[in-house]
Amino acid sequence: MKTDDLIRALAADTQRGPDLRMMLLAGLLPALGLAAVAVWSVLGFRVDLGAAMLTPVSAARILLTGILGIAASRLALLLARPEGGHTARLWPLAAVAAAALGLLAWAYQTTPDEARQMATVGKTMTTCLVAIPLLSILPVGMLHYTLRQGAVTAPLRAGFVAGLAGSGLSAAIYALHCTEDSPLFYVTWYGLAIAGVTLVSTMIGARSLRW
Amino acid sequence: MAEDVDAWGQLLAAANAGDARAYARFLQSVTPVLRGIVRAKGGGLGEAGCEDVLQEVLLAVHLKRHTWDQGAPVRPWLYAITRYKVVDAFRARGRKIDVPIEDFAEVLAAEAGPDPTEAADMAKMIGMLDGRSAEIVRKIGLEGVSVAETGQALTMSEGAVRVALHRALKTLAILRERHVK
Repeated sequence: MKTDDLIRALAADTQRGPDLRMMLLAGLLPALGLAAVAVWSVLGFRVDLGAAMLTPVSAARILLTGILGIAASRLALLLARPEGGHTARLWPLAAVAAAALGLLAWAYQTTPDEARQMATVGKTMTTCLVAIPLLSILPVGMLHYTLRQGAVTAPLRAGFVAGLAGSGLSAAIYALHCTEDSPLFYVTWYGLAIAGVTLVSTMIGARSLRW
Repeated sequence: MAEDVDAWGQLLAAANAGDARAYARFLQSVTPVLRGIVRAKGGGLGEAGCEDVLQEVLLAVHLKRHTWDQGAPVRPWLYAITRYKVVDAFRARGRKIDVPIEDFAEVLAAEAGPDPTEAADMAKMIGMLDGRSAEIVRKIGLEGVSVAETGQALTMSEGAVRVALHRALKTLAILRERHVK
């Protein structure tokens, strides 16, 4: 086949792929809504949610995970474009991680020696480590689906930010239930849950986002 | 060169707004440049081999054209797809190459020759499509029949032909990937 012939066939095809931003919103928002309903109906929101939102150290949990999720989602949209591999800058994610670690260090300093271990282990570690990955499945899946409709040229990085985006947002939703307000607890265990999901997402992305 | 590139943006924007002729002109005007890049990178493949790779790149550009952000310059977008597909195509043929994007600027300055070649791979792939899809691609591509006339010949509506054509092109890209791996 001559290239001119191919061009003629291509030019006759007027169907275009989806708008990726709209597609991601249309997939991610319902997925997150469902996650919120799941937390509310199975675990229940914490009773003092209103008061907790006004307590900086407690609100920081939702803020940090939420910002991580939104920043990573924006990066995922960038990486869905072929030139995204060159234009996407990952430092905002590192900034969020640095803020979380700073908070952890501060909590370590201000928590009395004898209370540290209890604050770190908490009472709901297992729930946290199970719930956040479970809640992440659908949002991360939606991100991967959108990325596959795009033209990813950095599959490893795209899988990585998709994992951070989905698990960050899911962790923010889980925080509506969780009453563990010490950064010693939440930076550690939320962080571990997010890292686990992100690792899996990165590994899947590296394979499945090629085209 | 800069004028050309501006023109690409305008043509592609018009194409995205539904102007099929602008789209054909866009593809025609990027093709020599992309051919120059492929040849510069894959001289060892021979002319026909390079044309195969070029057609792969064009198919990818076509199927991924919704990922171009209207506000962004066309060139980085186009070259990123080209680079990805060229590396992929050469890897699939057992050759590892490095395609730094900066290199493209020099390649562009060298004007590529006229379109001389018949490429073999795409015809093979079309042969692997189901009968009707293959016929639609051949009629529109090789014979230059319009979508409406193709529909009449195959007793299909124009819309159905367009849907079938789009599916066929997507399938070609998938076949291509499998064939190559």
